[in-house]
This record gives sequence, structure tokens and C-alpha cells, in this order.
Amino acid sequence: MQKTHIRQTLAFIAVVAALLVVYLAPAALSQDDMTMVPADAFGVLQRPQVAFEHDAHNEKAMLDDCVVCHHGRTDDGLMDMEYSSEGETCESCHPVNPENGETPLMRAYHRQCITCHTDEAMGPVTCGECHRK
Amino acid sequence: MIEIYTFVSGPLAWIAWSVFVFGSIYRLVSMYNLAKAKDGSSLAYMSLPYSLRSIFHWLVPFGTLGWKSDPLMTIATFAFHICFFLVAIFLGAHVVFWDTAFGISWWSLSDTTGDIISFVVIGACVVFAVRRLALPHVRNVTRAKDWFALLLVAMPFVTGVLAYHQIGPSLLMTILHILSGELLIALIPFTRLSHALFAVFTRSYMGSEFGGVRRVRDW
Repeated sequence: MQKTHIRQTLAFIAVVAALLVVYLAPAALSQDDMTMVPADAFGVLQRPQVAFEHDAHNEKAMLDDCVVCHHGRTDDGLMDMEYSSEGETCESCHPVNPENGETPLMRAYHRQCITCHTDEAMGPVTCGECHRK
Repeated sequence: MIEIYTFVSGPLAWIAWSVFVFGSIYRLVSMYNLAKAKDGSSLAYMSLPYSLRSIFHWLVPFGTLGWKSDPLMTIATFAFHICFFLVAIFLGAHVVFWDTAFGISWWSLSDTTGDIISFVVIGACVVFAVRRLALPHVRNVTRAKDWFALLLVAMPFVTGVLAYHQIGPSLLMTILHILSGELLIALIPFTRLSHALFAVFTRSYMGSEFGGVRRVRDW
């Protein structure tokens, strides 16, 4: 009787653990914790840092394909929309003060957001809509 | 609303700058022809050294009797013109705009400095307005077109300060700011603001006449 009870308890714990892994893994792998556009590289900021909730944004914008934002880089140093660079920081290809003709980080950020928002006629496009005081 | 923003920040900017450039050429050419037709002999007296001498003296605050006669106006007018160009060319947000649109970038003012000198421009506009109302010899020669020019130049700064401080809806304020700036640029050749094109020539004319004909100083 005792053994069956322990076996049942262990089975229950195992099922709960399995369910936890199944349901929480995507959340752990996703960008749920991303709530701001990274701005450490700039040092002292002139304007308030830009709020950006990664998952909420992509759900609202119906973006499933990572490469739309996380574009890669061709051998010629141009934008590569086939190869996704997710997991790498923007700054790794876009230094704040480029020395080899890369697009600087601030310009990359501004173009990335504003170009898409004006093309789609949706989302913030002016200074004060993103850099909220 | 974003479509309006896209239009005013894109095609309308090209239109405004085109009107400014071609309007300025038209105004300068037609004014030269008018001067030649009505006062042809004066052109023969135009002198580069006398012109430069006059321009130089009038570029120095309190460097002329005219500037000394009205100190508040002198301070306001120098502060206005210097801060106007600093804000237009070196304001952080303006530099970022050119950077984003064309990938060109240059030195910029800190946001706090830009904010302060924008208020200096607005303050100078208030001085100009009060002066037109308070001083009889200015009031008597003030016409609607003078008020229009002042309004034209004040609007981009008022809307710019409101947009920067996020007073009112940001998108709407920014659209109004860009629109008022474009209106200013496009109408410079056709309003009292055309002194931006003509001042150097009127000063040269005075300098040449006083230097070469009357043989006296004009400062």
C-alpha cells in the first residue's frame, strides 16, 4: 500500500515537472525579459531610453520571422535578409563609432524602427513617441 | 496620421527647399534687374572694400551708432540670429533626422543647450513684438506683413519646444513643427524674411555710397 502511494506521488511529480518543461521552455528561450532597447553602449544618454517589449511588440505586429529585425550581413557587408542574426547583439555589427564603414548603432536603431513603422503606417515615428519623458 | 508625417517629412520638405532655392534665385535676379533699371548709376559705385568695411562693422554688436542707439534691440537681434542658426543646424534632434534620412552626421548641441537657446529665440521674438507695439516710431511703420514674418519665424520654435517637452500629442506636434519650418523656408524669398537674401546687398549699397560718394562712415 505504502509503495503504491510513493509510486503515485513520484509519477505525479514527474508529470508536473514534464509539463513545467514543456510550458516554460519557450518562455525561457523567448525575449520576455526584453523591455528596453539596449542603450548601454551609448554612455550618457541625451534622451530617455526607449521602451521595447519584445514579445508584446511582435505579437501586436504579427511578426513570426526573426530575420525581419535580426537581419544578417552579407560578405559585402550589406543587409542579409536570408540569414538571421538572432542571439547576437545589434552592437556586435553596429558599433557606436564605426571605423570600417558600418552603420552606426544609433542610425541602425532609428532606421530599423522608423522605416518599418512608416512603411506599415503603424507604431511610433517621432522623437517623443519613443523617447518618452 | 503617420501618412501625413511621412508626407511632410519627405516630399513636402523637397518642395519647400525647391521653392526656397528657385524663389531666392528669382527674387535676386529680378531685384538686380529692378536696381539696374531704376538706379543704374549706383551699380557703377558699388565697391567691394567699402561694402566689406560696412558689413564688418555692422556684424559687431554695438560696433555702430545704430546698434548703440537701441541696446535691447541689439542684444535681441544678435541673440536671435545666432541662436536661430545654431538651433536649425546643430540641434541634436535635427542632426539625428539628417543622420537617419541621409546617413550624414555632424557635431550637435546637447539637448539641454538646444532647449535653452530655443527659448532665447522665442524670448527675442517677444522683444521684437513688444517693440513693434511699444515704440511709436516702430509702430507707425509696422504693417501686417511684419507681423506675418514674425509669426512665420516664431512658429517653428514654439512648436519645436512643445514637441521636445512632449506637451500635446507627440505626432501632431511634430507634424506641426515640420510644417511650420517648411512654411518658413519656402516663404523666406517672398516675405519680409527676404532680408536673409538682400541684407548683404543693402549693406553693400550703403557702405559703397557712404564710402565712395559721401566719403563718411556709415556705422
